[in-house]
Amino acid sequence: MSEPITRRKILVDYRIRAAKCENCGRVYFPPKSFCDIEGRGSRMREVDHFYEKGTLLSCNVIRGPTKKFDYLKSFLSGIIHFQGDNLKVPGRITDYVPPPEEVDVTEFIDRGVVPRFRKTFTDGTSGLIYYSSMNFSFEDDYYPFQQYLPIKPSVNEKSSKPGIVGYGVYLPKFRIKNEGHGVLGVVERTLPFADEDTTTFAVEAGKRALIHSAIDSRYVKKCFVGSESAPYAVNPSMSTVSQVLELGEPYEDGFFSGGIDSQFACKAATDLFIDAAALVAYSTFGGEYVMVIGADNSQAAAGDPLDYTVGAGAAAFIFGKRNVIATLDCYVPYTSDTPDFYRREGEEYPKHGGRFTGIPAYFKHVGTAMKAAMKACNLTPKDIQYVANHSPNGKFPYQAAIEAGFDKEQIEPGLVVKYIGNLYSGSCPTALAAVLDIAKPGDKILMTSYGSGAGSDAYIFTVTDAIEQKRERSITVKEQIENPHRQYVDYSTYRRWKEG
Amino acid sequence: MKKLKPLAAIVGAGRTKFGELWYQNPEALLTEAGLKAMESVEYGLRRKDIQACYFGSFLYQVTNKLALIPGYMSRELGMNIPMSNTEAACGSGGSALYNACLGIRSGEYDVTLVGGFEKMTDRAGKIIDDLMFAGDPHEFDAGYTFAGLYASMMARYIHDYGDSSDGRCREALALVACKNHHHAVGNEYAQFRREFTVEEVLNSPLVADPIRMLHCSPVSDGAVALVVVSPEVAKEYTDTPIYIVGSQQATDDVSICSRESLTGIKATRLAMEKVLKETSMTMRDIHLAEVHDCFTIEEIFFLEDSGFCERGEGWKTVYDSYESFKGSKHIPYVNGNSELVVNAGGGLKADGHPVGATGVRQVYECFKQLRNEAGGNQVDKELNVALCHNIGGTGGIATVHILMREL
Repeated sequence: MSEPITRRKILVDYRIRAAKCENCGRVYFPPKSFCDIEGRGSRMREVDHFYEKGTLLSCNVIRGPTKKFDYLKSFLSGIIHFQGDNLKVPGRITDYVPPPEEVDVTEFIDRGVVPRFRKTFTDGTSGLIYYSSMNFSFEDDYYPFQQYLPIKPSVNEKSSKPGIVGYGVYLPKFRIKNEGHGVLGVVERTLPFADEDTTTFAVEAGKRALIHSAIDSRYVKKCFVGSESAPYAVNPSMSTVSQVLELGEPYEDGFFSGGIDSQFACKAATDLFIDAAALVAYSTFGGEYVMVIGADNSQAAAGDPLDYTVGAGAAAFIFGKRNVIATLDCYVPYTSDTPDFYRREGEEYPKHGGRFTGIPAYFKHVGTAMKAAMKACNLTPKDIQYVANHSPNGKFPYQAAIEAGFDKEQIEPGLVVKYIGNLYSGSCPTALAAVLDIAKPGDKILMTSYGSGAGSDAYIFTVTDAIEQKRERSITVKEQIENPHRQYVDYSTYRRWKEG
Repeated sequence: MKKLKPLAAIVGAGRTKFGELWYQNPEALLTEAGLKAMESVEYGLRRKDIQACYFGSFLYQVTNKLALIPGYMSRELGMNIPMSNTEAACGSGGSALYNACLGIRSGEYDVTLVGGFEKMTDRAGKIIDDLMFAGDPHEFDAGYTFAGLYASMMARYIHDYGDSSDGRCREALALVACKNHHHAVGNEYAQFRREFTVEEVLNSPLVADPIRMLHCSPVSDGAVALVVVSPEVAKEYTDTPIYIVGSQQATDDVSICSRESLTGIKATRLAMEKVLKETSMTMRDIHLAEVHDCFTIEEIFFLEDSGFCERGEGWKTVYDSYESFKGSKHIPYVNGNSELVVNAGGGLKADGHPVGATGVRQVYECFKQLRNEAGGNQVDKELNVALCHNIGGTGGIATVHILMREL
């Protein structure tokens, strides 16, 4: 498919955009300029269905797909009905693997489905990657439907200190178990479905963050996506996230917003928390909010020790000054040129220094930053309720926190790596989210990231009263870890899906 | 029935065998069919008598990297007359005939050659992808194949009309295949001349649940041609012309999603209403129908869209007709006092479905049957009125023709 065709499709497919006649209410997909009934004098307006849910009018199991969909082998395709606008669109059902025997697809008819931003297909390994929101998962399966209802801000919501306004975590449905008691404290891990990648994770997490914070996406003026598994070497995930989530004031078919993809191993996202907070406090910035996303389909070569700890997913945080749920009170970065883990341009998998990644790398940087942050704020471990450390495995973050003077009760809530694996850039943010899921107003949280190469950022947050009112709009990390619809796959499936 | 004024007449017809024709180029197939059609004209037809050619084909630009079919056919046939190619996916052949009828009705031409062709096996590995050119790109992006699109329609049909049928609806959908394969046994040109049982259909490999391989028409190569003339000159070429008394076409949204219904084809319904009005006929007047059975559900849709059966009752007619049939040759559909033989040569299902050729092949079959020239596959009853129903894509276009031996 050519680049111009792709751009035109993006404008329709990312938001499931249709045209609606303002006179008779008839809806057309793809959008058209006039209503068949009202004629060429009709007034049409664009409507999108990105945050809607639909029902399956009918479907089938594709057993012999077109070449572009060979990578999915067999899957459900169907016709989705959005009842509100009486709109019907074709869509693929994702996160569902049909059994080899015949499926009575009539049983799926009338089931609720939720749009998902996923890959459709790719043009080989060097061409474009095509995405669409016209992929759907069953509403009563792993991925629930959530309404997006932005709340108009009031002047009373001004916070004196910038901080987190809302957050969202996306953990994929599929898991792989580690044998026995796990590997380095990791019992099971998340993995992408065949049509997921870092960009789709970032979009899902960002979508949940918008829903949680209930802010209007047009006021998000900057978006950072930190990752070490971006689908393109050149072509940012951030612009895809902004286009799908419509971040910034819309103008023509773009948006007045900016941002970048960032890379610093596993701290690519957390490094920018302070920048996000600084921007919203800076009058020249002119925006209300900044979104920071840590997303990774964490890569590891088959058989490498890392292959038993890596996970997949994303966490998104929105920073602002209104209705903040946790103020950002302290920031201490610590950096050195320590080559413990690296991947050369063009190489598929990272390499690492084995035991060298421990004491001289992770523990040195994380420990130094943690202690410096507490000292800067004149706090002791007793003053802090929770620790959220970067979690390459289940042992490192625990040991680092113990060495800094914390006890098990302060560490365990953030130690979600045991059930999701190492999310690389999403690891530390997901641990922070897991802690925020249970934190009470007044609680202090010490979050410390680690990025190989190497550096750590320690942050101290203080939870505010606003956290309680937003809780009903979140899908917690624990809910996702324990979701009864999560599905386990074998090692060969895990490798196939992980490598896309 | 009042005496009808014919629009055009068919005086000759020729075709190739359908199947995997590895050794011929598409233009050679069309030439073979065209020359056979000319040679079949009773009192002879010289090439210089032909004033225009109307061809129908869908995928030759993709499958054979050809374009400008008029130029190729000018070379093959050695003629420099006006020629055009109509692309309407699986409805290309019917559309070519529709256009030829317009040419004749306009008074511009008296003698035309109509041909349909397709060469699908030259790109067998990618033909599933290529066929999706006839679908909406959003359907392709949803992972749909053509079988998948029809499977979604079939699933909804089963859900709406057959879910409480103890499996008889699903059996009826298999019986359509059994019947059409039964009809093809005596057709010397058919791609598959063997019987299949219901069990074989229902145990064949899954293609797009609920569609299995034996619910589908095959991938085929082939070509068919007709000599179509004005009624005024028809008797100069044969004593037994077959008259075209109705020629109608209707269109609908290319995507099944944007249509009124998933359990019928609006374009068929509209074209049928127009052609029955044009000829002042009802379905009870039709003796033989060549129906676009690309998937077995489509034949049942036709029974309902044409008015032969009530909506949702088509499968019952199929089931009861098959169960009550006692003979050994063609199995007619019986609904009350109406009796209709459908797809006497095996239809797309068994005769084969070289996409662009199909609409013309349907007319070829009716021409032979109405002239009592179908040999061992001749329908064992008096035939005077036949109908051809050709659709493109999943129903983006439908073309219907009504043919008569005696006006």
